[in-house]
Amino acid sequence: MLRFLIRRLALTIPTFVALMFVTFMLLRLVPGDPIEVRRGERGISAERLADLRHQMGLDQPIWKQFLDYVWSILHGDFGTSIVSHAPVLQEFWTLFPATLELSICAALFSIILGVPAGVFAAVKRGSFYDQALMTSALTGYSMPIFWWGLVLIFFMSNTLHLTPVSGRVDLIKFYYPAHTGLLLIDSLIWGPKGAFIDVVRHLILPTIVLGTLPLAVVARMTRSSMLEVLEEDYVRTARAKGLSPFRVVSMHALRNALIPVVTTIGLQVGTLLAGAVQTENIFSWPGIGKWLIGSITRRDYPALQGGIMLIAIMVIAFNLLIDMTLGIINPKVRNER
Amino acid sequence: MKLTAGFAATLLIGTMLAAGAANAKSLVYCSEGSPENFTPAINTTGTSFDAARPVFDTLVRFTPGTTQTEPALSEKTDVSEDGLTLTFHLRKGVKFHSGVNGFTPTRDFNADDVLWSFGRQQDPAHPYAKVSGGAYDYFNDMGMPDLLEKISKTDDNTVVIKLKQPNAPILANLAMDFATIESAEYADFLLKKGTPEQFDQIPVGTGPFSFVDYQKDAVIRFKANPDYWGGKPKVDDLVYAITPDASARYAKMKAGECQIMGYPNPADIPTIAKDDTIDLVQQAGLNIGYLAFNAQKPPFDKPEVRMALAMAIDRDAILKEVYQGAGQKAKNPIPPTMWSYDNDAKDIAYDPAAAKAALEKAGVKDLETDLWWMPVSRPYNPNAKRMAEMMQADLEKVGIHAKLVSYEWGEYRKRAQAGEHQMALLGWTGDNGDPDNFLAVLLGCGKDGKPNGNNIPKWCDQKFQDDVNKAATLSDQAERTKLYVDAQKIVDAQVPWLNVAHSTVFEPVSKKVTGYKVSPLGSHVFYNVDVAE
Repeated sequence: MLRFLIRRLALTIPTFVALMFVTFMLLRLVPGDPIEVRRGERGISAERLADLRHQMGLDQPIWKQFLDYVWSILHGDFGTSIVSHAPVLQEFWTLFPATLELSICAALFSIILGVPAGVFAAVKRGSFYDQALMTSALTGYSMPIFWWGLVLIFFMSNTLHLTPVSGRVDLIKFYYPAHTGLLLIDSLIWGPKGAFIDVVRHLILPTIVLGTLPLAVVARMTRSSMLEVLEEDYVRTARAKGLSPFRVVSMHALRNALIPVVTTIGLQVGTLLAGAVQTENIFSWPGIGKWLIGSITRRDYPALQGGIMLIAIMVIAFNLLIDMTLGIINPKVRNER
Repeated sequence: MKLTAGFAATLLIGTMLAAGAANAKSLVYCSEGSPENFTPAINTTGTSFDAARPVFDTLVRFTPGTTQTEPALSEKTDVSEDGLTLTFHLRKGVKFHSGVNGFTPTRDFNADDVLWSFGRQQDPAHPYAKVSGGAYDYFNDMGMPDLLEKISKTDDNTVVIKLKQPNAPILANLAMDFATIESAEYADFLLKKGTPEQFDQIPVGTGPFSFVDYQKDAVIRFKANPDYWGGKPKVDDLVYAITPDASARYAKMKAGECQIMGYPNPADIPTIAKDDTIDLVQQAGLNIGYLAFNAQKPPFDKPEVRMALAMAIDRDAILKEVYQGAGQKAKNPIPPTMWSYDNDAKDIAYDPAAAKAALEKAGVKDLETDLWWMPVSRPYNPNAKRMAEMMQADLEKVGIHAKLVSYEWGEYRKRAQAGEHQMALLGWTGDNGDPDNFLAVLLGCGKDGKPNGNNIPKWCDQKFQDDVNKAATLSDQAERTKLYVDAQKIVDAQVPWLNVAHSTVFEPVSKKVTGYKVSPLGSHVFYNVDVAE
């Protein structure tokens, strides 16, 4: 297990270096200049431009800028935002809880609905239910997040008045300082009466929108994995022994069928974060996604680089965790090269 | 016994607070983005200026809904006869906000605060000059370093600004957000604490609302300043709900989650107009979208060719297709909401036949040219690409073959400012409501006869320049108006650019709201606003 862990950790080092290089270079290769972007329609004198470039270190050779950047990251310094002048790490930690909370809810939503739906479809293979579920999954898979979000706002918020339109909490009624930044926890412990329910109501639409794609993936994966397992000899044996269909599925088949599903869920972390960028913009959700989009528009290099690196660290760490979990569940994984 | 008394007191205070909370009036403004910080001197975006405005005052301010100035922190302003000395008589008894970020002011606002606020932008040795990046774009862009000779105080309530040359727009400049007055005492307090950067994140001012908190990308909260020199605002809490998506902003308006929103989606305008809970307030924006002809490149150096090209373009069709009703055709380089607008100017009529004849007369046949379009949507031009395509088709009809060109936005501006184009679409939104801010900035030339950076047509005309230069030195508005009308007539005859349109600014406001005025300057001011229960 230790060797497996060391091997996996060693693999992450080149990943990081490549990632640092790619983020750094890509931002500099795309057209657009952080100073010019700030200027609107105004002209700027060559001296002033040079002065501002110097202040931001943009007049250094690219290789020097890159080395400085790597050196800073190795020292835990992700830079200072050009726009807000606040440390990137501080901005990240202020906004990350909102994204984390939304992503966890969306992941739970996709697992809680996706696994049973996949199992049900596999058991009822070829039936109307199977076809209906898989068609829904395909629809969910191909649904553009932006459109889906607006449709839900229109029906749920503006027509039926069941959910709030956007934000994390009613800004007038429930004003209390953030403690953990995870409003489900904050509102439950420190919030005034009714705050928790309000937070839950605000979470419903973004959770559905962000969770739809992973839900479809999980349901389809569970179904196909389940179908495979249901054909295995030990399942047939279990059936032949006269066990009830429920027991066969839940005790024997599901456990094995879930292994590839766990891997899929792990891979969905990246999807969730990518989806969060759009979801957060539609629902004015103050998280990392919204922050990154704003940073791109303003060519805020440090915020963008730092933000992407920090997200990458999270994704890699999470995948490492999933690999280790799989390694524990299934010894075969540990020996794979 | 003690416990019981304590309990009773707590209960009483609690009841009072609850009652207060129940009666508290809140105004929620759905804003379009997050501020960069809360110090207008280092900001560059309208979003950031809006976010800081409730907290601060300027020496003079724009009367809500207009581009005229009125007294603010300076109760009375004297301008010397030669126009070189401005004396500001400061309002007495003005309090800075107390209790924000642990700061309690020990004195009222005075001349030191004015000197401190301008000093930070002017003096590189100022203790805050380098804090938060130390870039004072607006101060520099408005030409303040070249204009200001000296700022000094005569006593605690009198500030004197000496200018290097007379400058009529100076008062309008001082009403702009970069000229916000901050607390020198708060700055010292933070410097001693070793946290000067908090000065730009947690603002303390003299304005109608004091800052409560800002949750990045989510919400900014303010509460009414009970000691405001102009009287306590009508609402108790002011909340900016940051909602970048225009459709989501409108959805929030409909759900009653905000009472005023900025920048509605043009496609939503007809629906909003029909909504009986919302007033769709509108006004011509203080802007101009234009097609610049590079007057330094033949054949665009000939006014008759420029006029012919202008006649060849069907702006009515553009207004309909590109602005979709949210704009009005422009006949002058300045918008009609601005004083000195030349009402008598004759618009250039769409006449392709006359255009073709004029081009032939000028010897222009089968001209190959480029036509640049901006890659971004701006208030004065919501869809430059479509506009360029329509112009291209119109020009083709008179034998001009225009190739459409675009660059990344920063690159586009840089190249257009360098004069690399032949024809380019661009525009401008005014800063301070003064005609100088359009005419001198966009069509002006330097003493050396070279066009200024923002002069995209690269057009210089001595008579125009003399008029504009002279107008800037006068303080009599009637005299200035005469000169600016004259200058506009020169532009209309010379056609350095084709005036395309002034966009219309729409603001959906809940019917429960009273006292809100749309600013032609694009700013959002909530001091006089009330909300019905």
